[in-house]
Amino acid sequence: MNPFEKIFNYRVLSRLGESGAFLSTAHERAWLKLMLDHPSSADAFSGPTLDKLRTLLYQDEALPLHDHLIHKAASRERQVFHPLLKTLRHCIQHKHGVRLTFLLKDGMISPKQSGLPYRLEYSMVKREWYLLWYSWKRHDLLSVRLSKIASVSEVPVQEEACASALAEIGDLLESRKQRAVIEVQPEYNRELSRILYAFSCFEKEVHYDELSGIYSVALTYLGNEGEYVLSKLRFLGKRVRVTEGAVLKKRMRDSAMKALAQYGALEPPAE
Amino acid sequence: MARESFDKEIQFLRMLVLTSGAYSRQQFAERLGISVHTFDKTVKKLKEVVQTIQVEPPEDQDKAFIDTFRFNYYDSAEPALLFLFRAKSLKESESLRLSRILAGLNERPLTIKELLEVCCSGEEQEEIWPDEKTLRGDLRYLEEVGVIAKQPGPRPYRYRLYDDLIRQLSGDELCELFDFVDVMANTQVPSVQGYLLRDSLKKQLNRRSLADAAADPFLYKYHYYSRILDEAHLYPLLSAIRERRKVQFLYFSPKEGKNYSARPTNPLFERETEGRLEKMLPLKIVYDHQYGRWYLLACDKRKGVRKYRLEGITQIAEAEAVAEDLFQAEKKRLDGMLALSWMIDTGKPVTIRARFLNPVAGGGKNFVKERVLLQGQWGVITGEDEHSFIYEINVNGYTEIKPWLRSFGSSCEILEPLQLRQEMIQEWKELLAYYESV
Repeated sequence: MNPFEKIFNYRVLSRLGESGAFLSTAHERAWLKLMLDHPSSADAFSGPTLDKLRTLLYQDEALPLHDHLIHKAASRERQVFHPLLKTLRHCIQHKHGVRLTFLLKDGMISPKQSGLPYRLEYSMVKREWYLLWYSWKRHDLLSVRLSKIASVSEVPVQEEACASALAEIGDLLESRKQRAVIEVQPEYNRELSRILYAFSCFEKEVHYDELSGIYSVALTYLGNEGEYVLSKLRFLGKRVRVTEGAVLKKRMRDSAMKALAQYGALEPPAE
Repeated sequence: MARESFDKEIQFLRMLVLTSGAYSRQQFAERLGISVHTFDKTVKKLKEVVQTIQVEPPEDQDKAFIDTFRFNYYDSAEPALLFLFRAKSLKESESLRLSRILAGLNERPLTIKELLEVCCSGEEQEEIWPDEKTLRGDLRYLEEVGVIAKQPGPRPYRYRLYDDLIRQLSGDELCELFDFVDVMANTQVPSVQGYLLRDSLKKQLNRRSLADAAADPFLYKYHYYSRILDEAHLYPLLSAIRERRKVQFLYFSPKEGKNYSARPTNPLFERETEGRLEKMLPLKIVYDHQYGRWYLLACDKRKGVRKYRLEGITQIAEAEAVAEDLFQAEKKRLDGMLALSWMIDTGKPVTIRARFLNPVAGGGKNFVKERVLLQGQWGVITGEDEHSFIYEINVNGYTEIKPWLRSFGSSCEILEPLQLRQEMIQEWKELLAYYESV
């Protein structure tokens, strides 16, 4: 199986644009068939659609991965599809509002809250779905795990209200952006590839100073992602040092102090 | 003819994505070990692919090319790097022929004669009109990759487009399928074939005026963006494993600083002899979720088991097959060695005991424990009180698990082995020194 097929060629693709022909290779269908074997496919489709797809693919062979490909250090896959995905996706697509109730810690259900659903977000780390939604009451963009939503009902929204909420969401996301600069310690330059891989899931700009041989990575992330950035920094340990970003610097210092205290190894500050 | 290799383009794109903005044109070329001229040629080729695929050409094309690869989370779940897999070279006349055949078959099933008419009309010069033999070759290829199929019935055969997958689905079903493919391509590996399928489905949604349905309602957080580049090597390797064949390749260890060190020595483009020529029996491929990287585990009678990063592998070629029982024996041995690997370490097992402290803020959920249960692989919690719990794991060496343990900061205290405990204390001391003046 060759992923570089002539049939995927960009010129063929652009020439075929007008005709509307649907091309699917045996490779793509083999992939799809393998994915349909994943337990989550039962949550993704209604029963008849799933049966129909399986019938359509009966002549194809599923991609034979067997145990030739294994995964290591993955978060346990808790959920790939959630029953609420379909409803919420429909609301986002049609710009409908929602009325939500949530499961509270004590097992009670929260009062109804209404807002505009913005995006559905899957975290590869937590392996869980979240709803990003704009709350009319709090004028804020909030994030909630789908597993914490007790009920959803659709509510119509006026076009103008929707447009202004979307504009506000844009502003909110912009205002939550944080920036930090992380320097790769030159003695770890040979591990640069690993370090850059670790930050490849963020918006970033890399700077290289030819004279000193120092690489620095300017990360842009949202405020609520700070914890994840921190865990990455601790993960990489001595390889990297935060040079800009007061909060991260302080948190790294606190981490080190507390960890040493925990080990009973914190030396008293020199006079 | 040798198969067209995309090693250069893959190396180039990986560097472009990982080091976004770091290098000038000159530095970039130096680091790849190529001339500025070759660098420009590679950029030109890739640019052409991107611009042909993009519907609206952006105003400033130079800037746009670099920006295409800049990770922009809220824009789209579409992987910008996918275009690499559309870069296969094709003669102008061949791409014209293939698209004519497919467009013709999209109308109705046709015989070779009828297809010949389709291909030999239009405004092009007669010199590029195909003969029947060429056309038969094209049809054989298209049938082989499963894009078209021969219809049952008497000769002359009719060919049809193999598009049952969408022809028989309603609008709603097509939307469901698009969502499924989108989610699976973005949360599972391998995913390149899924992304290609997603692309085709999206076009169909647009044609059926269901464009809204394809308006990216989903986002995928903390995913490794460049992982699909290495999938280029995955399929040839999987096929070799299935056929119990050895593979030969030129290996550039990423650790040796060929790509990113201050010495401009990546010889991939020109001085190819600086790599290491390897011939091994591939046994397994490992996807590492901590960094989004791929490994090949392979063996050789003399060298034993060796581990290779897929990003360092170039010029893969299949070699001779081995006996089934030899393959099975080696695979079984490797499975045994890997059973306790956090990642791919096959060293001596060691038992690690660590105390994890519960978060201080009462009432909330215990996110420390939640994360340990989620990511702690086969480790178990052996003891617990109201402030902390003990996690225990028997693992091959502690090098690979150490970063994960350290990522918990002060919430994790190593109890055993003593050497790891001491190393951790030392590292925290050095880290504290980094931030002493804060």
